[in-house]
Amino acid sequence: MSGSNVWNRTREKLRRFPELFAECSLEAAAYGKCVAATTTSKQELKKDLCAKEFEALKTCFTNASKKRCK
Amino acid sequence: MSCGAGQRFLRAPRRLWSFYRGTEQRHTGTDTGRTVLPLDLSQTLDLDQDLPQTLDLPQDLPQTLDLDQDLSQTPDLLRTSVRPQTSVRPSSSQSGGLNVFDRQMKRRQRQWAAAQSDAAQYDYIREEVGSRVADRVYDVARSFPLALDLGCGRSFIAEHLTKDVVEQFYLTDISPNCLKRLRPSEIPARCVLADEEFLPFKDDTFDLVVSSMSLHWVNDLPGALRQVWRVLKPDGAFIAALPGGDSLYELRCSLQLAQTEREGGFSPHVSPFTAVTDLGQLLGRTGFTLLTVDTDELQVHYPGIMELLSDLQGMGESNCAWNRRSLLHRDTILAAGAVYREMYGNPDGSIPATFDLLYMIGWKPHDSQAKPAKRGSATVSFGDLSKISSTTETR
Repeated sequence: MSGSNVWNRTREKLRRFPELFAECSLEAAAYGKCVAATTTSKQELKKDLCAKEFEALKTCFTNASKKRCK
Repeated sequence: MSCGAGQRFLRAPRRLWSFYRGTEQRHTGTDTGRTVLPLDLSQTLDLDQDLPQTLDLPQDLPQTLDLDQDLSQTPDLLRTSVRPQTSVRPSSSQSGGLNVFDRQMKRRQRQWAAAQSDAAQYDYIREEVGSRVADRVYDVARSFPLALDLGCGRSFIAEHLTKDVVEQFYLTDISPNCLKRLRPSEIPARCVLADEEFLPFKDDTFDLVVSSMSLHWVNDLPGALRQVWRVLKPDGAFIAALPGGDSLYELRCSLQLAQTEREGGFSPHVSPFTAVTDLGQLLGRTGFTLLTVDTDELQVHYPGIMELLSDLQGMGESNCAWNRRSLLHRDTILAAGAVYREMYGNPDGSIPATFDLLYMIGWKPHDSQAKPAKRGSATVSFGDLSKISSTTETR
């Protein structure tokens, strides 16, 4: 592992997860609906089935973290 | 229960694992070679003398391992059951042979959790379950001179009991930090560092054995129940509570779905729990009579998945099963948070976490206990029931 205090920095980033997640509730709901739909429908859950929704969620999340950092 | 991403700093560095395996070979004990400590106060552990001071830094691990060597007067029985995955199975035929949980890791997790300055804010579940177990002790209309608390943590049952119900308490746990930071109670208590599967007490010692929220980390539950049966006096009671069955099913399902969608497969992150039916059978097979097993659901609401994971870690309930993967990808955490909120979330945005609590009460057989009636001793027949209804109709 590189760096002097990797674990502290990682934990600090993790601590910001809830507030960043709260900003992306729309995208999270869309992704959640996509995955939850497979539990009721005949379609089996495969890798990257909801990749589009997840990309939207992830970009929202990274944008929120960049905004907060600045 | 679940493995959060922040748990990694608890792992030992590689060089210490080799030391650990080298010293481990001594611990494969046989059942016949087991010796038991007499319940003599002079041989009870003196926590201030026998333990090293700080146990939460990785550098202290050699001292942690030597903990058992420092107890010069104690036989092998007081050592925790340490068995890394690749070692030989214990030669005893009585042990279940199951090795699901890493007990050393559970001890380190409890040490870390107890050493936190804000440990009290994670106590809410244990407090609640401890008070419910104490209620069940009160329901029994007798007093218990000597009681044992298995896996007591920081002692959540003794504080609700009074001296006229239990006169003396013995508190056992695998983590010295927990025993050093006990919650106050009015009952005089002695602390013993012991594993739930190897109780260092003579047969027929205790009137009451209680346990709250610790039996779900025991490797060999039948063996642990046999130990409890052994140390109980005839007509002694065993009252326990543990999460079982469908506990944390929301977390398990969300992680499973998210990991399947993100990574293509999934690995178990939540530890396995005992089902209600299995528990009843286990108790019966061990020899307990007058069994009562009931379930209760405790639902706790959290703002999000991260808070749930960090609370579980703070409680010392992180997963310690051998088959856990220590890495949880950040994409998977994000996906699991979204799935959890969508599938199980409440209207106000919070997410529920269910703890399926199983309470059991069992008694060691004694002549004074009520027995089922003998066959053929009935004086009234079921056929007479129809005669009762016909007489009421004619009235």
